[in-house]
Amino acid sequence: MHQFLRYVRLWTALARFSLVRELAFRTNFLVKIVVEMLWLAILIAFYETIFAKTSMVAGWDRYQYLFFLGFYFALGGLLETLFLENCNNFADLVRTGDLDFYLLKPMDEQFLVSCRTIDWSCAPNVLMGAGVMLAALVFGGWEFDVGRLLLFLITLVCGTGLAYGFLLLLTAASVWFMRNQSLFEMWWLFSTLMRYPREIFSGTWAYPAGLFFSFVIPIMLVTNVPAQVMMRAIEPKLVAYAAAATGVVLWASRRFFKFALERYRSASS
Amino acid sequence: MKPTLSVSDAALALPAPASPFKKYWKILRISLVERLVYRADFIVSTIFRFLPLVTSFLLWQAVFDGSQQQSLSGFDRRRMIAYLLMVQISRMFSSMPGLAGGIARDIRDGNLKKYLLQPIDMIAYLVSYRAAHKMAYIVTSALPYGLLFFLCRDVFDGWPDLLTLLAYAVSLALAFLIGFFFEATIGMIGFWFLEVTSFLYIINTVNFFVSGHMFPLDLLPPFWSHMLQLLPFQYLAYFPAMVFLEMKTGQELVIGLVMELFWAVLFIVLARVLFKFGLRRYSAYGG
Amino acid sequence: MPIIEAEGLSKTYRVYQKKEGLLGALRGLFRREYKEVRAVDNVSFRIEPGEIVGFLGPNGAGKTTTLKMLSGLIFPTSGSARVLGHVPSERADTFRRRFALVMGQKNQLWWDLPAADSFQLHREIYSLPTDSFTRTLGELTEMFGVESLTRQPVRELSLGERMKMELIASLLHQPQLLLLDEPTIGLDVVAQVTIQKCLHDYNESRGVTILLTSHYMRDVEALCSRVLVITHGKMVYDGPLAGITEQFGRAKLVKLQFEGSDSPEDLGQYGEVTSRLGPVVDLKVDRAKVADVLALILDRYTVVDMSVQDPPLDQVIARVFEEGRAQHEADSQRV
Repeated sequence: MHQFLRYVRLWTALARFSLVRELAFRTNFLVKIVVEMLWLAILIAFYETIFAKTSMVAGWDRYQYLFFLGFYFALGGLLETLFLENCNNFADLVRTGDLDFYLLKPMDEQFLVSCRTIDWSCAPNVLMGAGVMLAALVFGGWEFDVGRLLLFLITLVCGTGLAYGFLLLLTAASVWFMRNQSLFEMWWLFSTLMRYPREIFSGTWAYPAGLFFSFVIPIMLVTNVPAQVMMRAIEPKLVAYAAAATGVVLWASRRFFKFALERYRSASS
Repeated sequence: MKPTLSVSDAALALPAPASPFKKYWKILRISLVERLVYRADFIVSTIFRFLPLVTSFLLWQAVFDGSQQQSLSGFDRRRMIAYLLMVQISRMFSSMPGLAGGIARDIRDGNLKKYLLQPIDMIAYLVSYRAAHKMAYIVTSALPYGLLFFLCRDVFDGWPDLLTLLAYAVSLALAFLIGFFFEATIGMIGFWFLEVTSFLYIINTVNFFVSGHMFPLDLLPPFWSHMLQLLPFQYLAYFPAMVFLEMKTGQELVIGLVMELFWAVLFIVLARVLFKFGLRRYSAYGG
Repeated sequence: MPIIEAEGLSKTYRVYQKKEGLLGALRGLFRREYKEVRAVDNVSFRIEPGEIVGFLGPNGAGKTTTLKMLSGLIFPTSGSARVLGHVPSERADTFRRRFALVMGQKNQLWWDLPAADSFQLHREIYSLPTDSFTRTLGELTEMFGVESLTRQPVRELSLGERMKMELIASLLHQPQLLLLDEPTIGLDVVAQVTIQKCLHDYNESRGVTILLTSHYMRDVEALCSRVLVITHGKMVYDGPLAGITEQFGRAKLVKLQFEGSDSPEDLGQYGEVTSRLGPVVDLKVDRAKVADVLALILDRYTVVDMSVQDPPLDQVIARVFEEGRAQHEADSQRV
């Protein structure tokens, strides 16, 4: 318990210092928020354009889809706030050898690497996404159901953990791969798989691909399961699978990260 | 000195195996892994690069399915995919990553001195640099994109006629010029305002939508569609693609090309004028 | 009980040879030639608590690699090390709490924040109780003379001030062992001297063992009673500073002042004339021959003043390095 509190206290200090530092560059901070708002506006404009032409996309009606969109935006914002910048820096740490300083501290390296700074300028995305989700619930006439809500929150945590695990796998892999692209780019591309309801993956070759990315490399479950739990019929087996997958991916990503550290240490001079 | 991290380097950290046979087997295995890692890097990044495009194909299929219509705003299923593919080509010519930012940075860091001292025209230098860079990029992308186009060849109704191809080539060349000189103009603002990158950030985000990169502008309500087509951004993605697909023909095509030329000339002039005045201001303040 | 025990420490790397030209590049696809570099070659030593030991060697000698092996950052290829009773490469938490590594020219403090904030983070990371932390911090900032600077962002500080902050950060958790890698590199003389003094005082009052690498003689002369000399991964000397000249110094510097306004032309037969200003001559003479040479000169000429000195330590060391390099190259040719 004492150990856990220690990490919480350190994280709080890191969060506080990150905020102080970001607020010192106020214009940058504000511009970033404006850009993210524009981006959400564009996503919503796209959504409206689509639903002007059809009432269903892969079986999702307009409010279910809107909820999905808001959730994707909010979750993306959460990951960007907490982890993305730190993961992007990892390749630089390896290249410059500054990773050594993390290895010397009497604290878990994965924690230090993942949580070093908090990108507060992305935090409003979580609120904006939540706003969109709320709008979808209200306009969609969602019936309040405590059970659903709780299950949603649980699957939200699972989804975040699952996404973090994949992010960590990509980050650790950046030690060998990705000499030419940044992690930002790789993550942006990889996360396109969870940008839409997985039901759009239908057709002779798309369907197996959809299954692959739902059950073998279950990135799609990150957004699909919570959105589905909230807005559509709940599939208990899918929820259980998502929870199990989260555990597996978090464990595997930690192992792979430690492996990357060992290889770094072997090649250091 | 830091040797590049490789799988084989790691092997030396472990104790050497006993027999020579084992040693060679180990070396072979490790070398093989290293080759595969390098190739895997290339393959993975190529696959990843196409993910957004492929998922957008699937999304539109779902939209068509749901709408239960054969065509949306003049686009049927095949043509929609064809459009999304052609827009990739347009962007290959018109996107200028890092141009405005680079110019602004040179201004801020005082690197412009070399242009003041040496008989180099900065703009001409940057244009030729970009053109060369683009050519190299197009050549290296030819294989994966060629493969993708080949796989999707059914969405195309064969090649358009020679005149259309000519108009297409012209529209692509002008798209390069508009893309370049628009970003250059933004970069030149760096002579007067330090923080150009934020402005750029905003523009590029909006551009994704208004250039027709996300979807054909025709799908928007007529008012918005017409408004956006008055802007120069449509030439960066939408217009060339439409020319190739023979969806802009006759008078529309001619007017479009003339307007494209107008925008190109406008931004060339604007960039040059701003550069001249900016340079004057720059040297007046001692850089 | 020694605080550091290194036994046969070695670290070898494979460095790939890039062949020139297209043909070479093609050949490189099928078979890569590599060279094995022995960064550290069979280095053994023991360090007792409270010592200040210098690691002296030219660039690339293996000093940093050795330090990294002692801090657990790198696995040794062969040999072993025991530091503070631990095997470093296992990187136990209890081990990491008891030492600190500071690398010159590398910054582990947060760039945009005041040093004070970085210190706070250190406190959290090492779980230091508030009152002892505040006390220690106060003592350290006073000792280094930077009390007024802790609230300034680190990027605004000068190189010397930044290094002092780095050292303070490394001492906050009161380590028993301090490993310093080129700590005064790039600093001005005043900063160097201050840091040397602070380290010396800290060692005296707290008994912290200090191991510092450098290729500057000044650091080593100012602080270290004992020196380990490393060239090309091999340790060539382990002992007191004075002993280096004894062991490696082959020549002595004889300063002569002759009568009159000029000095003889033919002094070259006795040794190397390194300087000649009017009647004053500096002559480098083989140790063994000093007595004879002096006798001869005093016999032939009239000498007004005379002194016999050891050559400057850095000249000796430079020669040791130079010889080490020549030897190393000869060895590689043979292989």
